[in-house]
Amino acid sequence: MIERRKKSAGIIWATTLMSACVFLAGAAVSAKESSRFEIRSAYAELEEAVYFLHARINYPLSKQALEALQSGVALNFLLRIEVNRVRRFIPDSTVASLLQRYQLRFNALTSRYVVHNLNSGGQQSFSSLDAALSFLGRVSNLPILDKALLKPGRRYILRLEAELDIKRLPGPIQLLAFWLDDWRMTSEWYTWPLQP
Amino acid sequence: MASSAIKRTAFQVLLIIGAVLWILALLLLAQTAQNSERFGELHSLILFINVVGVLILLVVISVALNRLIRDYRHHVPGSRLRARMLVSFVILVVLPLMVVYYFAVQFLNRGIDSWFTVEVEQGLQDALSLTQTVLDIRKREYLARTEEAAAGLVGWPDLGMLSVVGRLRRSVGATSLTVVDRSGRIVATSQAMPGDIQDLYPGEELLQQIGMGRPYVRLEPVSGGGYRIITAVDIPQRSTLTQPRALLGQFPVVARLGRLADTVDQTYTEYRGLMFLREPLKSSFTLTLTLVLLLSFLGAVYGAFFFANRLVLPIQQLVAGTRAVAKGDFDTQLPPGSSRDEMGFLVNSFNDMTRRLGKAREAAARSQQLVESQRANLAIILARLSTGVISLDDQLRIRTANEAAGAILGTQLGSRVGETLEDVAAGQPLLSQFLKSARSHLDQGDFEWREQFVLRGELGSRILMCACTPLPGGSDQPGGFVLVFDDITALLQAQRDAAWGEVARRLAHEIKNPLTPIQLSAERIRQRYLDKTKDEDSEFLERATHTIVQQVEAIKDMVNAFTEYARAPDLDVSKVNVNQLIGEVLELYRARETGVSISRNLDPDLGEIEVDAGRLRQILHNLIRNSIEALGDDKNGKVEVFSRYHDQDEHPVAEILVRDNGPGFQMDVVSRVFDPYVTSKPKGTGLGLAIVKKLVEEHGGRIDAGNRKDGGAEVRVLLPVNESARHAMMEQRRLEVRRESA
Repeated sequence: MIERRKKSAGIIWATTLMSACVFLAGAAVSAKESSRFEIRSAYAELEEAVYFLHARINYPLSKQALEALQSGVALNFLLRIEVNRVRRFIPDSTVASLLQRYQLRFNALTSRYVVHNLNSGGQQSFSSLDAALSFLGRVSNLPILDKALLKPGRRYILRLEAELDIKRLPGPIQLLAFWLDDWRMTSEWYTWPLQP
Repeated sequence: MASSAIKRTAFQVLLIIGAVLWILALLLLAQTAQNSERFGELHSLILFINVVGVLILLVVISVALNRLIRDYRHHVPGSRLRARMLVSFVILVVLPLMVVYYFAVQFLNRGIDSWFTVEVEQGLQDALSLTQTVLDIRKREYLARTEEAAAGLVGWPDLGMLSVVGRLRRSVGATSLTVVDRSGRIVATSQAMPGDIQDLYPGEELLQQIGMGRPYVRLEPVSGGGYRIITAVDIPQRSTLTQPRALLGQFPVVARLGRLADTVDQTYTEYRGLMFLREPLKSSFTLTLTLVLLLSFLGAVYGAFFFANRLVLPIQQLVAGTRAVAKGDFDTQLPPGSSRDEMGFLVNSFNDMTRRLGKAREAAARSQQLVESQRANLAIILARLSTGVISLDDQLRIRTANEAAGAILGTQLGSRVGETLEDVAAGQPLLSQFLKSARSHLDQGDFEWREQFVLRGELGSRILMCACTPLPGGSDQPGGFVLVFDDITALLQAQRDAAWGEVARRLAHEIKNPLTPIQLSAERIRQRYLDKTKDEDSEFLERATHTIVQQVEAIKDMVNAFTEYARAPDLDVSKVNVNQLIGEVLELYRARETGVSISRNLDPDLGEIEVDAGRLRQILHNLIRNSIEALGDDKNGKVEVFSRYHDQDEHPVAEILVRDNGPGFQMDVVSRVFDPYVTSKPKGTGLGLAIVKKLVEEHGGRIDAGNRKDGGAEVRVLLPVNESARHAMMEQRRLEVRRESA
C-alpha cells in the first residue's frame, strides 16, 4: 500500500517537474531564437576625459512589427550600455550603466516615420523607414563615462545590447509576445575592452 | 484533536487567501488585456501566477484522483459513492461552463468585430485626406512665399544676405528663413525665436531634392504637438560663377488647424492600431477567458473532491462502524457529527445503538458468567456426591455422569460422554443389569419411577436405590432423563447386622436362663432314681439324662457362640507379625492331618501391624476351617493363604486372602454369606463368617467373599496397618452407612 502511494507521489512529482521543465525550456528557446537585432560595431573614444560611444546597430524588424508600425503602433527601442569591471574569481561589478530609449512611430497625416529620443526629448522625421532605422542605428558621440571613474591597472569592458521594449507595447500584443517569438527582438551582448 | 482543528482552520484560511489572490490575479489579467500601460510590467507575472495556479490545481487534483482510483480498486467503503458524486459534480460544472465559454467566445469575437466597420474606416480615411488637402494648400502657399523670398535674394552676395533674410522672413511670415549651400552649411539665417541650431539642419533628402533643382516642401510633426511646414527652394543664379544657394523656410501651422490635424491623426492612428490589434485582442481575450475557465473548472473539480470527501466521510465512518459491529466490536463510537443534518442524526443514532448493544452484551456476559459459576458449583457438588447421577438424552446417550456413578456401576463413565449407555455397558455386568432394569421402565413409557435393584457381580451383589426423572423436551417425548442412584448394600447390611445382634442377645438371654435348671434337674433325676431302678430302667435313665445334659451343653455352646457374636469387648491392640501368626495357625492344621493340602504365599514386605492378636487368630481359624469344611473329604482339596501389603484408598492395609477349590458359595446365598445361619455346608453353626465379618469390622477393615471363576470360594480381608489408618477407615465406613440410611 505504502509502496503504491510512494510510486504515485513519484509520478505526480515527475509530471510536475516535466511540465515545469517544458515551460522553462520553451521560454529559453524562444529567447535564444529571437535575437534578431545586431550590433555591428561599437567602441568608446576618450575625449577630454570623457568616454564617448560610437556604435552601428542593425534593426531589422519582423513582419509583425512592421505591420504594427504601419498600423500606427509605436515601437520602443532600448539600448542598454554597461561598463563593467572584470574580476577574476567573482562576478563582474558594474561601474556605470546607461539606458537609451527611442520611440519609432509612423505619422499617417504626414506619412513620415518619426524617431523620438526619449532621453533627450528630440525628434526627427523621415520619409522612409530605412532612413529612420539607419538614423536609429547610428549612435555617435554619446557620452557614457567620466575617465575619473575608471582606475588604472584594472580591466574594464564595455557591453551593450539593443532590444525591442515589449512592455511598452499594447496589452494584447504583450500577451501574444509572451508566447510568440515574432515579438521577441533583441541583440546579443556586444563587448568591447575599455582600457583606461 | 486541538491540533487537527488548528490545521483545518489554517487550511481554510489558506484556501480563502488563495481564492482571493486568484480572483485578484484574474481581475488584473482582465485589466491587462485592456490597458497595457498600467499593468504592462505585471502582466507576465500575473500570467505566470495563473499558469502556476493551474499547474498546482492539476497536481492536487491528480493526487486526489489517484487516491480515489486506488480506493475504488481496493473497494474501500465509500469510494464508489465518492466517485459517483464526483462525476455528478463535474458534469454539473462542466456543462454550464462549456456553454458559458462558447457563448462568451462568440460574443467576444463578434463584439470586437463589430467595433470595426467599413464606414467608420472610410470616414476616418476621408477626414485624414481632407486634413492633408487643407495642409497641402498651406504647403503650396508657403512654398510660393518661399519662392517669392528667394526671388528677393537673387544677386545678393553671401555676406549681404544676412540683412535681407530677416526682412524677407517677416514679410513672408516664416518662423525661420535660412540660406544654405549645397552641403547644408548655413550661409545666413533669421529666426523668430532664436532656438536650437540643430532644428535648422535641413536633412539629406531635402538637400538631395534641392540639388536636383526641384522645390521641396514637407509637413512635419513637432515634438510637443502641432505641425510645421518645411520648404526649400533653389535661389536662382545670375551667373554660373557664383555658388549655388538654397533658401529653407519653416512655417508654423495655425494652432487651431494643428490641433484639429493632430486629433484627426491620433484618431486615425488609434483606429488603425485597433484594427491591427483586433486579432491579438481576440486571442488575448480568448486566452484570458480560457485561463479563467480552466482555473474555474479545476477549482470546481477540486471543490467537488473536497465536498464529496466531506459528504462521504460520515458514510465511510458509518460503514466501518457497521463492519466493526458485525464483527462483534460493540465499543465502536463514531466521532460525533458537528452537523445538525440527517447525517449527524444518523451518526448519533449509530453511537446510541452501539452503546446499547454494548450494555446488552455486558449484561448477557454477566448472566452467562453467573450461569457458568452455578454450573461449576453444581459440578463440584455432583463430583463430591456419593450418590450416582447420570443424565441421558432421549437416545440414552450419556450427557453427564459423576464419579460416584462410575464407582457404583464399576466402570468409568465420565470419559465416555456422548456414547449410548448400551455401548458403554458392553462387557460391564453391573452396568448391563442396571441398564436392563432401567429399560424395563423406559420402554413401557414409564419415565418417572423409583425402584430398588439388585446387581450381581463377581464379588457379591450390590443393592441400588434408583430414581428416574424425565427432562423437559419436545411435545410429549422427554428430552432426556436423569438417573439418581445410591449403593445401599452397606446400609442394608448394617441394618441386618444390628437386627441379628439384637436377636442373638435376646436368644442368649432367653434361652440360656432355662438351660441350667434343665441340666440340674436332669442330673438330679439321674442321681435320685439311678440306684432305685432296675437294670433296664437304669440304663434307659442313664442314657436319657446323658442325652439331656449333652444336648443342653450343645445348646449352651450355641448360646455362647451367639453371645460371642453379640458382645463387643474392647480391642486389645498390639503389634503383631501377620505372616508369623498365619504360620502358627497353619501349623495347627497341618498337625491335624485333615487330608487337605494347605499352601501359603506370604508377602515379606508385610511386617508388624497393629491388631488384636486373639481376634486375628480367630479370623484366620474361622476362614481356614470354613474352607476345610467346605472341601469335606475331597482328596484333591487345596487351601491357599496369601498375604499382601498395599494401599487401599490411600490407607496402608494388610490384605489376607483365603481361597479353596471346593464347590464355592451357592449362587442364592453369595450375597448373604456373612449373615448368621447362612451356610451351604452340611455341618457348622452358620455363624463362622458372620463372626469373622464382625471381627474384621471391629478393626475397621473390610471383608468380601465370592466365587472364583475356575471354581472354589475366595474370601478377602483388608485390615488397616496402624491406628490412624484404622480410624480413617472406620470413619469412612460410618459415613457410608449414614449416607445410605439417609
